[in-house]
Amino acid sequence: MMTRPRRLFEFPWRSRATIDGDVEAELQFHLDARAADLVAAGVPADQALRQARAEFGDLDFTRRYCRDLDTRTERGNRMTDRLGAWRLDLRFAWRTFRRHPAFALVTIVTLALAIGANTAIFSVARTVLFKPLPYGEPAALVALFSTPLESPGNRWDFSAPDLADYRSRQRSLTAIGAYSYRQLTTWRPGTGDPQIVNAMPVTANLFEVLRVGAWRGRTFAAGDDAPSAAPTVVVSYAFWQRALGSDPATIGSTMTLSELPYRVIGIMPRGFTVRGQEDMWIPLDMSGDLANPGVTRKQHVFAALARLKPGVSIEAARSDLMAIARRLQGEYPESNARFLATAEFLSERASAGLERPLLLLLAASVAVLLIACANLANLTLARTMGRRTEIAVRAALGAGRSRLARQLLTESLLLALIGGAVGVAVAAAATRAILALNPNALPPMFEVGIDGGVLGFGLLLSLGTGVLFGLLPALDAGRADLHATLKSEGRSGTGSRSSERARRGLVVAQVGLAVVLLVGAGLLIRSFRDLTQVRLGFEPDHLLTAQLRLDGARYDSAGAVNRFYDEVLSTVGAAPGVVAVGATMHLPMQGGENSSIYVEGAALGAEGPRDIGYTMVRGDYFKAMRIPLVEGRTFDATDSPEAGGGTALLNQAAVRVFFPKGDAVGHRVRIGPNPAAPWTTIIGVVADIRERALDTPAQPLYYDNGRRQTWWGSFSLVVRTGAEPMALLPVVRTAVKRADPVLAVRGFETLEHVIGSSLAARRFALGIAAAFAGLAMVLAAVGIYGVLAYSVSARSREFGVRIALGASTRTVLRLVLRQGLSWSLAGLALGIAGAMAGSRLLAGMLYGVTSFDLPTYLAVAAGLLIVTISASVIPALRAARADPLDSIRTE
Amino acid sequence: MTRIPSELLQGTVDILILRALAWEPMHGYAISRWLDARSDGALGVDGAALYQALHRLEQRKLVSASWGLSENNRRARYYRPTAAGRLRLRTESVVWHRYADAVAKVLSPA
Repeated sequence: MMTRPRRLFEFPWRSRATIDGDVEAELQFHLDARAADLVAAGVPADQALRQARAEFGDLDFTRRYCRDLDTRTERGNRMTDRLGAWRLDLRFAWRTFRRHPAFALVTIVTLALAIGANTAIFSVARTVLFKPLPYGEPAALVALFSTPLESPGNRWDFSAPDLADYRSRQRSLTAIGAYSYRQLTTWRPGTGDPQIVNAMPVTANLFEVLRVGAWRGRTFAAGDDAPSAAPTVVVSYAFWQRALGSDPATIGSTMTLSELPYRVIGIMPRGFTVRGQEDMWIPLDMSGDLANPGVTRKQHVFAALARLKPGVSIEAARSDLMAIARRLQGEYPESNARFLATAEFLSERASAGLERPLLLLLAASVAVLLIACANLANLTLARTMGRRTEIAVRAALGAGRSRLARQLLTESLLLALIGGAVGVAVAAAATRAILALNPNALPPMFEVGIDGGVLGFGLLLSLGTGVLFGLLPALDAGRADLHATLKSEGRSGTGSRSSERARRGLVVAQVGLAVVLLVGAGLLIRSFRDLTQVRLGFEPDHLLTAQLRLDGARYDSAGAVNRFYDEVLSTVGAAPGVVAVGATMHLPMQGGENSSIYVEGAALGAEGPRDIGYTMVRGDYFKAMRIPLVEGRTFDATDSPEAGGGTALLNQAAVRVFFPKGDAVGHRVRIGPNPAAPWTTIIGVVADIRERALDTPAQPLYYDNGRRQTWWGSFSLVVRTGAEPMALLPVVRTAVKRADPVLAVRGFETLEHVIGSSLAARRFALGIAAAFAGLAMVLAAVGIYGVLAYSVSARSREFGVRIALGASTRTVLRLVLRQGLSWSLAGLALGIAGAMAGSRLLAGMLYGVTSFDLPTYLAVAAGLLIVTISASVIPALRAARADPLDSIRTE
Repeated sequence: MTRIPSELLQGTVDILILRALAWEPMHGYAISRWLDARSDGALGVDGAALYQALHRLEQRKLVSASWGLSENNRRARYYRPTAAGRLRLRTESVVWHRYADAVAKVLSPA
């Protein structure tokens, strides 16, 4: 049991003063001895010492030299000694683990989970919140937005004319770059089927604003986005690899996009992206939009990025933009009266909405870590009590208090480091798995991974944890009463009062923390359930969706677009298994457009025309989606432009807002600011659906049948079937190919999946929060069990005596259960108080429940009590079964 | 015999000390007397060089030191070679013999 003595004689380490004295004594001895010899040889005594000094040489220098050298030698020896002792501690710790593998295993697994969780969250949080964006000098990059007066928190994009005005009038930015969201384009490769690709139209200066150069070739130069310029394209690294086969001859070659030849001028560096999905970038020519009277200042479709001029603060840029916005309000009251403008740092924008969830997750993971620490401290304390005899023997043999404490701390640190190493591996795997399962949960420009910083964090965390859960037991062991322990051979008592109190405190604290996490997770789960059970207004099951994109010269007339969709819809509709088929401009949860609406005969309010959601639908859209018709009729063959005036449908929300008397059908409305535009007649009213987002109620919505529009060719098909929706995929493909052989279809998805994706970020946070809460609960249960079990085994003699004196099994059982319950009730009270204070932070993430949701709190309390009782039952039964004879005999 | 100038001695003090300690532990003064006697006074190493060398050897773990009592019952610091020190003595002695022979051969009148 004792360690082998390291050396026969261990010299105490010499202090600086001792070294000085030693050197002095040694040199003096030499001089004295020489002087004595000289005297013996006949030199007079008064000269002898002087001569000895003279023969010696430079005494002062030698003295200094020896002192310095000895000090260094001493330091080196000390280090070697320490390392040696530490190696010994480690070897001893290792042997201890081998003897008690269960303890070591529990500790390592607990730590791996807790440290893994923390490291994973940290790696995500660090990337999203603290890492600079992967652009040149990202600190000066800003995103610009229009902000509606009535909800200044909303962020809108710019219309082409507005953007042109901001670009020419602003004084605070080096340049404004812009891009468009309308990105889907058909690419016809040299061989094989046409594909839909993401070609993002960007102004020629966007790459310059972002300060990112091409990896090969060049990015756009000024003038590449002029109307007269030959079409050029810059492709992404990923696209070049995947679709172009890493062809070195790509630059200078020609790609056919929307039936037009584009020359490839550059390949961007790996990982570069503006919004996450682009395959390539093409020049954004805004002159066409600016010259087109149909394009108005109401169409907010261009996103703007800019760079602050050196020395210009973001506040100055904001007031600059605001001043321009005010002037535009005066110049174009009809379209701009309701809008101001603002700038936000791109870095903040990119992580907007993620900050709070991430910080909350970080807090939750720290709570889990604390619980784990409390648990392990308890476990280690209990185990140290069990090793009291061993420790006392070692103390009796001369191990100092600090030496014993160091040994115990070494064991904790070793376990913590092993646990940490496993934890980091867990974190690496977990992060990858979570992100793979939730591809939409994080902004795309962030690449999350395990790097040096994350590894350092894991290491630091492990060391901190080791100290945290090892220190208390180590100090406690130092205090142990050697005499009493050896006398009783470590049998009686439950340990020192202070350590008993510490253990109870730790259990209460960890139960409290677990309660906080459980309440948080419970609130999120209830919100999520409410969201998924929200009345959508349509039936998303058994629906296949697919995106089609028509553009280019072949589809520049309404007739051509109509012919294409009519053919596709009728072919698909006639196919076996298809119940109904339609098409829409926007699938639910995928955004939308707004326009202003004028009601015939109604007076305009003071604030001008009101806005209404605008969408176009084709075919049997309402039937396919199962959106009930409330009044009137839906579109039919009589609603073609050839048959006369336009017709439209409204949803119930629109009727409530614009026709308070409920008499919408038969009335006429006009959409858009153009006073020459024809009036459309409302022919029917359909039920409300959740269109923009699951957590926002239906907004007023205008349905057009799209037969007179030429500016929008991209529709999503919705096909209802009685069977598995994906089985219809070949049907849709064939139908499209028949109508247009060179057209591509993409984004085959079930509508359920489309809606599910809109919840990705929420599901991501929820999954993690639930996992943490579960982990916390399990750890707390293990904690209660561990402490109770230990206390029961330590008190087994007491229970034996009680039973011998006539206590019934029930009494003993109740005794132990009451102890467990009293701890968890104290923890529960503490936790509920903490949860009440903390759950306010969740307020923005909840839907349908308040942060003081009574059922959640009750469920957590009930769950905790059940867990406590089950964790206490085994120790209680063991206590009740204590054999009175046995337990008395052991003394 | 006259003394050899100390510059010539510089590289050799270490090995001379190790040689002196080969038989028994000695304190510094005893080493200096021993060297004096063995070389008939030619290799007089002065005290400064001797003690600097001793402490250097101690740092390199070629000798170890401990306090003991001298012949006249005074506290003196005794040095003994370590295993590494003995090994060093053996290897360096060979080198020195070859070196001394070579120098002697070159310098001898042709």
